[in-house]
Amino acid sequence: MSSQPIVSAPLGRSTSLNEMRALAAVIRREWTIFIRYPSWIISLLIWPIIFPMGYILTARALSGVDGSGLTQFQINTGLTEYVGYMAVGTMIWMWQNVVLWNVGGALRNEQMRGTLESNWLSPTWRFAYLLGASVPQLISMLVMLLVSGLEYAFLFGVKFQGSLPLTLLVILVSIPAVYGLGFAFASLVITMKEANAFVFLVRGIVMVFCGVTYPLAIQPQWMQNVAAWLPQTYIIHAVRSAALSTEGFQGIAHDLQMLVLFGAFWLALGMAVFAWMERRARQTGAIGQY
Amino acid sequence: MSDIAIQAHKLVKQFPARADSGNDKKPEGQAAPAKKRSLWPFGKRAPKSMFTAVNGVDLEIRRGEIFGLLGPNGAGKSTTIRMLCTLLEPTSGTAKVNGFDVVTQANQVRRNLGTVLAGERSIYWKLSGRENLQYFAALYHIPPTVAKKRVEELIERMEIKDRANELVEKYSTGMRQRIAIAKALLARPPILLLDEPTLGLDPQAARNLRELIAQLKQEGHTILLTTHYMEEADQLSDRIGIIDTGKVIALDTPEALKRRIDQKEVIRLELTGWHDDLGDKLKGITGIESLTSHQKGEADLWEVNLQAQNSRHALPRIVESLSGNGTRLVNMNIVKPSLEDVFIHLTGKALRD
Repeated sequence: MSSQPIVSAPLGRSTSLNEMRALAAVIRREWTIFIRYPSWIISLLIWPIIFPMGYILTARALSGVDGSGLTQFQINTGLTEYVGYMAVGTMIWMWQNVVLWNVGGALRNEQMRGTLESNWLSPTWRFAYLLGASVPQLISMLVMLLVSGLEYAFLFGVKFQGSLPLTLLVILVSIPAVYGLGFAFASLVITMKEANAFVFLVRGIVMVFCGVTYPLAIQPQWMQNVAAWLPQTYIIHAVRSAALSTEGFQGIAHDLQMLVLFGAFWLALGMAVFAWMERRARQTGAIGQY
Repeated sequence: MSDIAIQAHKLVKQFPARADSGNDKKPEGQAAPAKKRSLWPFGKRAPKSMFTAVNGVDLEIRRGEIFGLLGPNGAGKSTTIRMLCTLLEPTSGTAKVNGFDVVTQANQVRRNLGTVLAGERSIYWKLSGRENLQYFAALYHIPPTVAKKRVEELIERMEIKDRANELVEKYSTGMRQRIAIAKALLARPPILLLDEPTLGLDPQAARNLRELIAQLKQEGHTILLTTHYMEEADQLSDRIGIIDTGKVIALDTPEALKRRIDQKEVIRLELTGWHDDLGDKLKGITGIESLTSHQKGEADLWEVNLQAQNSRHALPRIVESLSGNGTRLVNMNIVKPSLEDVFIHLTGKALRD
């Protein structure tokens, strides 16, 4: 082993540019690790087509072989494309579900792997670890939404009559609300050391209240009141309007407004819970505990 | 610039603990009385008490020295280290690393401190050695051109050039540990904190690592080292602090510590048929100050170390105690006290207890 020069001042300097580079490094690391597990092919290509199938076939059975039951569906939803309707609902549900597992579990996975402490020992902005872990997840999710859209169009003949740019706009505006919940979740999981029960609870609430596979109109009023407080309700409605109907911007304007408000709230809450967790971890040593 | 690299003054860390939690893995310390009793809607909740993991630690580690911090499990060693590297906030007291306060100037502390905690688990096994170093270089805010050069320097130095692009999961424990150390050296921090750096390494890899640690000292690094290997601490450390029940109970050079019990003798027995009652019997012999025992590699062969003021007085009673009950004395020596014996003398426990 060769000799090195005598120690001088540390090499690193904290600048905004270096913080951005650190964030980019976290994203690169997360992406590299993600694609080194070949199971990503299943999650991106196969799962999106398998998961909604159960609901679609149930709907086909209930609508009758001749589709006579679809009249009522059309009255309640304004749509006839029930396969696309199910696909959009379940895809948004899957998006939130995956965010809860992946973003929500990002720090916990690092903790169990043993690498959280070594990240925490660096002078990088702490939130970069969570933000960086979210970006590859968001990219893979967008790919998954795109792939599943293509799969439904070509395999099931779903007619996406709406607008792709408007659909992308809805997804973009939905990001703060979906990921804000993920950030808050990630911080709680570090403290509680367990994610499963919380994930099951949140995704159960979304599945039942937000109209994933059925229109809100069939719910009792009290359930509709609860649904009005959940951002996923607006995401599902807006994506359906943007992708499946020809209503245009008018059809999603109210949903977008609500999603901006929900986004600001959940993002602020996510960051606040993260800051609380970071402070608490320094007092209790939670970062190093498995 | 001050001559002191790391300074801790009356450092205290307390954690809340439930009195009835039944958690027997709690770090040792003194429980303070409960302040208030809270009620849980489903019944009475146990009152909160506090246990003191670190109880007023004072340390001054000089620039350029290797300082060994030793202590039995649960003594407060890890908590002290975690406070020094900003992972934990002290309950009271102050600590400075290279002149920066661990609470109010945590980022400057992190910049000045290279750490090896959790060894091989502190790096990403699904990344290559080179990718790991590039990643951590970015986290330490090293500009890309400097980082690239530094990563290559360290890959060369750690002798992993041929395998730097392989995934860490394919490395041996020794190679992973070298990556962990390279990670700690990336930003050229003046101070290094090495927690059990040779744990799990084969003898050759451990020897190489000890040589590297000695080189790093020659280069001007201050090193805070914790280890379970007493010979390692003895060989590498300029000074040693022994911590027990949250307090530094001895702090001196290895030689000075050994001189403390020079007048004592250590009777080392090798025997078969060891049982706990025999331990109690031996401890009861007048002049025996402490006893430790551990099983040796061979089945049913035990090594028992007894510290005595005067072995000649104690020996006949020892031999007498060993007769009967299936115990057979295989070997017996009277040896010069080692650092391990100093440790046992001070803490009443072996380092691995």
